[in-house]
Amino acid sequence: MLIQPRPKRSLLETVLLFEILQGMALTLKRLFSKPVTRQYPDEKRQPFLGFRGKHALVRDPQTGESSCVACLRCATVCPSQCIYIRYHEEEGSGRRVVDRYDIEALRCIYCGYCAEVCPVNAIVLTESYEYSAYDRQTNYFDRGRLLNNWDAFVKESGHDPVAYVNPFWRPRGVDEATLAGPRRRKVPEEWTRAGQPVGRLCRSQDSEVLAEGVQR
Amino acid sequence: MALVVHMLILVGVVLLHVAYATYFERKVIGHMQVRMGPTRVGPLGLLQPIADGIKLFFKEDVIPGCADRTLFYAAPIICLVAAMANLAVLPFASGLVLAKINIGLLFVFAMSSLASYGVVLAGWASNSKFSFLGGLRSMSQVISYEIALGLSLVGVMMMAGSLDLSEIVAAQQQSRFGIYAIPQFLGFFVFVVAMLAETNRAPFDLPEAESELVAGYFTEYSGIRFSLFFMAEYIGMLVMASIATICFLGGWSGPFAVPHVPFFWFAAKIYGIMFFYFWLRATLPRYRYDQLMSLGWKVLIPLALLNIVVTGFVKTIF
Repeated sequence: MLIQPRPKRSLLETVLLFEILQGMALTLKRLFSKPVTRQYPDEKRQPFLGFRGKHALVRDPQTGESSCVACLRCATVCPSQCIYIRYHEEEGSGRRVVDRYDIEALRCIYCGYCAEVCPVNAIVLTESYEYSAYDRQTNYFDRGRLLNNWDAFVKESGHDPVAYVNPFWRPRGVDEATLAGPRRRKVPEEWTRAGQPVGRLCRSQDSEVLAEGVQR
Repeated sequence: MALVVHMLILVGVVLLHVAYATYFERKVIGHMQVRMGPTRVGPLGLLQPIADGIKLFFKEDVIPGCADRTLFYAAPIICLVAAMANLAVLPFASGLVLAKINIGLLFVFAMSSLASYGVVLAGWASNSKFSFLGGLRSMSQVISYEIALGLSLVGVMMMAGSLDLSEIVAAQQQSRFGIYAIPQFLGFFVFVVAMLAETNRAPFDLPEAESELVAGYFTEYSGIRFSLFFMAEYIGMLVMASIATICFLGGWSGPFAVPHVPFFWFAAKIYGIMFFYFWLRATLPRYRYDQLMSLGWKVLIPLALLNIVVTGFVKTIF
């Protein structure tokens, strides 16, 4: 938006309170316009694709359990350190087995990094946003709760669990070919690397958009 | 006995009006800000004022530890009594007045100045910086605007030749334009601005400026005492709107007579002025304190004096 200096008021305009009258005309006009209110509990908002809401651990349809491999990337990347993982290594194979997977949702800042770095799409942030509670315990999610969150979300939202699992969050600017296998799933066009430019590419596009705006 | 019944009816009607003035205000300002206002309690939120009243009545009455208790109790009562006493002298229609006294206008001035004692005492007694600042602001605001308010009505008194409110209306009906707002346009303008300041309404709501002083002089009041202040403020608005109607807009007379409802035009004009109050509140930001003072002393009082001089000349010549 360009800032334009207002023309100076003439004496007549000052005496007749011209600017106050203008303001009053505006409010009077708004009096008869339709309110923009969304009556929340009655009219709920449909979250956008990729909305970062309630945490969930994806339930693997084959095993019926979480597909988490205890790589600890999520716990490491988490800026607010609200993911707690305990695991042990299976004797012989050395495979990691998750003992505990807790998320303290009240400390989460919903940056979505955990879902971004997960190599197996085990943790997702779902579109559910109504989970305020009267105590802290309710929003301390352990593994069972996180899996239940996923079940409830799939049931409520009607999303195809397989298509939703590859969350649209992938590390921005990373070539899809370098992602871990389970993450290389087809996503809508605007969520691909080409659709989500970062860095110099992004800036150049922005400046083109800006230039267009100025010309208009 | 009949007088007591009349009084009770008057108080009941006015309190109902006060309750629904808050509803009207919230609806008007809501829609002007492209919101909806109250919609939840009852159809269209119409029972909201009643719910608010019940809530305020049952709320805890908190009194600050170091408050001056006697004055703290007295302040809201002074405010409310002073505001309500005005109702006695207002003629709502021809002959429909509780106490027809020949100095009605002076009485209204006296009472509305008295109401500001309640405000100042509340600010003093609460022992809180916000209340104290609110009280001080109210004091100086009232001193500057009371003068302009009084002077703006002198023109009306000169034209009507009376201080009796009923007679002012009667004189207006016989005047050339039917209302004094046209010949006394300068007085009317000064009166409207001073009226806003006198009732502590936006854009001159400095004594209760919520963005600076929490709630100004009634910051420390809660529950029923808070609602007494609230009622006093709205009754004050109603009284000032009535004075504007009586002195400038022709009182109960209108373009045609409405059968069986002698106070129809009076009520309609009052609602119009109340709407104007809310309209201004939705439009204008609060004035800065020095702007308020310089507007009062440097613009309104000279204008009102000029109006008196011109009125006097015109009255002598014609």
